[in-house]
Amino acid sequence: MAEVRLKDVMKIYPPVDTKKHNVKHLEVTEKGVVAVQQFNIDIQDKEFIVLVGPSGCGKTTTLRMIAGLEEISEGELYIDGELMNAVAPKDRDIAMVFQSYALYPHMTVFDNMAYSLKIKHVPKDEIKRRVEEAAEILDITKYLQRKPKALSGGQRQRVAIGRAIVRNPKVLLMDEPLSNLDAKLRNQMRAELLKLQNRIQTTIVYVTHDQVEAMTLGDRIVVMKDAYIQQIGTPQEVFNHPANTFVAGFIGTPQMNFFEGELLREGNDYSVKYKDYVVKLSENKAKRLAENHVESQSITFGVRPDQMRVGEEGLTAVVEVSEMMGTSSHLHTKIDGQDVIVIVPTNGDDASEMEEIKVSFSGKMVHVFSKEDGRNLEFSV
Amino acid sequence: MDKRNKRAALQLAAARVLVYAVIIFLCFLCLFFFVMLFVNSSRTNNQLQRGFTLIPGGHFFFNMKNAFTDSSIQIPRGMINSFIVAAGAAVCTTYFSALTAYGLYVYNFRLKKIAYTFIIAVMMIPTQVSAVGFVQLAYKYGLNNKLWVLIVPSIAAPAVFFYMYQYLKATLPIDIVEASRIDGSSEFATFNRIVLPIMKPAMAVQMIFSFVAAWNNYFLPALLLTKAEKKTVPIMIAQLRSADYSKFDMGKVYMLILLAILPVIVVYVFLSKSIIKGVTSGSVKG
Amino acid sequence: MKNNKTQSKSVSYAKWGYVFILPFFLVYFVFTFYPQVLTIYNSFFENYRDGLTQVGPNFVGLDNYKALLTPSNEGTIDIIKYFGNTIIMWIMGAVPQFVFALLLAVFFTNTRLNIKGQRIMKTVIYLPNLIMASAFSMLFYTLFSNVGPIKPLLVHMGILDKSFDFFFVTLSVRSLVALLNFLMWFGNTTILLMAGIQSIDESLFESARIDGASSTRVFFNITMPLLKPIFIYTFITSMIGGLQMFDVPTVLTNAKGTPDRTVMTVIMYLNNYLGGSNNYGMAGAISVILFIVTGILSLIVFKTLDRDRD
Repeated sequence: MAEVRLKDVMKIYPPVDTKKHNVKHLEVTEKGVVAVQQFNIDIQDKEFIVLVGPSGCGKTTTLRMIAGLEEISEGELYIDGELMNAVAPKDRDIAMVFQSYALYPHMTVFDNMAYSLKIKHVPKDEIKRRVEEAAEILDITKYLQRKPKALSGGQRQRVAIGRAIVRNPKVLLMDEPLSNLDAKLRNQMRAELLKLQNRIQTTIVYVTHDQVEAMTLGDRIVVMKDAYIQQIGTPQEVFNHPANTFVAGFIGTPQMNFFEGELLREGNDYSVKYKDYVVKLSENKAKRLAENHVESQSITFGVRPDQMRVGEEGLTAVVEVSEMMGTSSHLHTKIDGQDVIVIVPTNGDDASEMEEIKVSFSGKMVHVFSKEDGRNLEFSV
Repeated sequence: MDKRNKRAALQLAAARVLVYAVIIFLCFLCLFFFVMLFVNSSRTNNQLQRGFTLIPGGHFFFNMKNAFTDSSIQIPRGMINSFIVAAGAAVCTTYFSALTAYGLYVYNFRLKKIAYTFIIAVMMIPTQVSAVGFVQLAYKYGLNNKLWVLIVPSIAAPAVFFYMYQYLKATLPIDIVEASRIDGSSEFATFNRIVLPIMKPAMAVQMIFSFVAAWNNYFLPALLLTKAEKKTVPIMIAQLRSADYSKFDMGKVYMLILLAILPVIVVYVFLSKSIIKGVTSGSVKG
Repeated sequence: MKNNKTQSKSVSYAKWGYVFILPFFLVYFVFTFYPQVLTIYNSFFENYRDGLTQVGPNFVGLDNYKALLTPSNEGTIDIIKYFGNTIIMWIMGAVPQFVFALLLAVFFTNTRLNIKGQRIMKTVIYLPNLIMASAFSMLFYTLFSNVGPIKPLLVHMGILDKSFDFFFVTLSVRSLVALLNFLMWFGNTTILLMAGIQSIDESLFESARIDGASSTRVFFNITMPLLKPIFIYTFITSMIGGLQMFDVPTVLTNAKGTPDRTVMTVIMYLNNYLGGSNNYGMAGAISVILFIVTGILSLIVFKTLDRDRD
């Protein structure tokens, strides 16, 4: 049982250290550069939480503060209701998988995995049992007597995970564990991580910059940018109801298409207008906008590429490149000089380059954002 | 066309012969005196009087026995003393240099930069500058004739520190230190159980160099070790020089010299490859 | 909050940095830095033992330095003479040391020459560097002295006169010192210079050769300019080491610097004050002078390295 609670947790680097970090986008106070701003979350027992965001957003720093490798500048960290700010990593009952794996090069796989148990003076046969059990789960039994140097990238990664799970930690922390693997292996390990979590039943905090990993692995996702949490939610929530233009653009590939347009309100009906093209928003969306008392205004609205349709009417788009992806094709088009991507099912007659097509979208699939600060007008006041 | 090729080949061959001649001459020069030492240490005084030869005299162990039992120059005692000082200095200098390098490499603290700059700055100060004060202090506190006084100062060896620091920078990712912390290791345990094994090659090279340097050191030990039973080998060799020569069994003299350098030669025979590698990695920094 | 697992106020590791570097700095200050300060301090005091009576310590200002720099009855200033001896003997060894080291380094790294057996050759030429200097010198003494085998051999061959004694002639003693230093150091220098040459981009040599440069030209136009920083570094290190020359001339001349103190080095001079009469004042002053000379040379090192960085 392990719940993790972060309350107003902040990381502020003293000005001396700032040369080492890329701080252009971060707030600088008199105390220094703020790498993580008021971070609040209640992580449930056995929950798989993914922190995702572009590099320098503060996700790894947050993870390292949970681990105790980095001091918490302000705020509080609780594990199972116990304040942990000053507790050394070894006493937090956590384990961590490093991006570089950080295997001890002079020890065999067995000794790597047994090291933490030896320190805790676990009896020898118990160590053996637990290491072998973990090796079994991860399918690395036959490598136990090898040194890390003699293993492939994928095998090392399993050893790193094995080293973390032999301890039955309350919380398992993972810092971009798949980023050093090639694409094929990464997909395979992603599936295995899901299976693993079902088996070991522990709370996991996982950091990645890859939104696909975040969507597939997380029970909940924390999207971060420039030290701030942008949104916390299930993959569905984050995908379907992005809190702002950043989240909308960050989650989902290819990226959501954005248009600078107008929101028109007529009673309880809403529609969006781009140039001469007007689309009426669905009832659900209109209802939420009305509840938030949103009036007619200039807005940014977004439509995901797979929600754009090619047909007889709509906006005129010029196809620049057509990428065949297998079952579908990505059309890179220009609408009034703006890049717009449209996904269409692949059929015999693909759009050819420089061809003019008409694209449209339904009012159910439009995301409406404030023009000033980019927040989603449906879900925020 | 053929002619040109032939001429070039001939020129190269001639150059090669010349080059090999120079190299072989220098190698010969390096080995000649030691070969003579080996030969002469196996000949009796009488044989030596008869003149120069390269054929061993067959009295190697006879001379060795004489050397070991000489009453004025207690070479076994000297070798033991030298070994204590050299081994002690080698262990202290490598362990503490590694410790200091690790402390400055892994941790962030306010005086870190100053500490590093200080060590690099004092690296160039010759040891002789501290000798006068050191000797004075040793005599003032009655620490002359104590072997440990020659061992403890080697804890602070700026050059070895620098080597260790460079090595750490090249081989130790901070992640490994943090992984060990998460695994529950204390800071000292991380250093002793994770970092030291990783630094083994650097430790070995520096251990050899500091052992050899301490084994050969003459200047300071000669000023401090005045009691016969505390003297180290180099002091005894210098003593040999000041002794009355005409009375000496020359076979024994050669044997004493041989005994003084033999441990280092033995080490060198086994570890020459890594020692030569260590020469460059320590001094030339890219 | 029950939080008795650790006493520390935070998980900051900064304090461990201090713990880890503490032994080094403690030992450095007690056994090196404090003695250094004491050495300088001593140089302003009269402080020695005359038989059984202790003289001083009395503050005498710069008197020790004045005494060192005052000409003796014969009109020579001892310390200048000993600096001269030291430098002459260093140069006599360093010239062949660097000439041969450069030659060997170029030979070994020349791909066209393709020298075989390099490892064993390097092993052999580096060997003397590890040999105890006092033992090596003692070996030279025994071999070259009147009871040794070399003199009779040379006399027999008609090269030397029977009355010749290697240790009675300034030039021959200095030559023996230089030969020893040469043998002990040229292997070390070769290996360092080789590493320096190997760090030069191989394609530079190749393009120079394609451009039609001869081996000598390549050496002077490519190798030497690019090797300069390392060459200067080894050269100045050798000079600093040379100024501290002690073991070899001490053992060869039984600490007397004979003949006529022409082989006496600065450190031998210092050792005379320190060993016999515990004259910390004069010894301190010699140390300071040596330190200043070394310091000036070190400055040259940094200056040269700095200039090369641009």
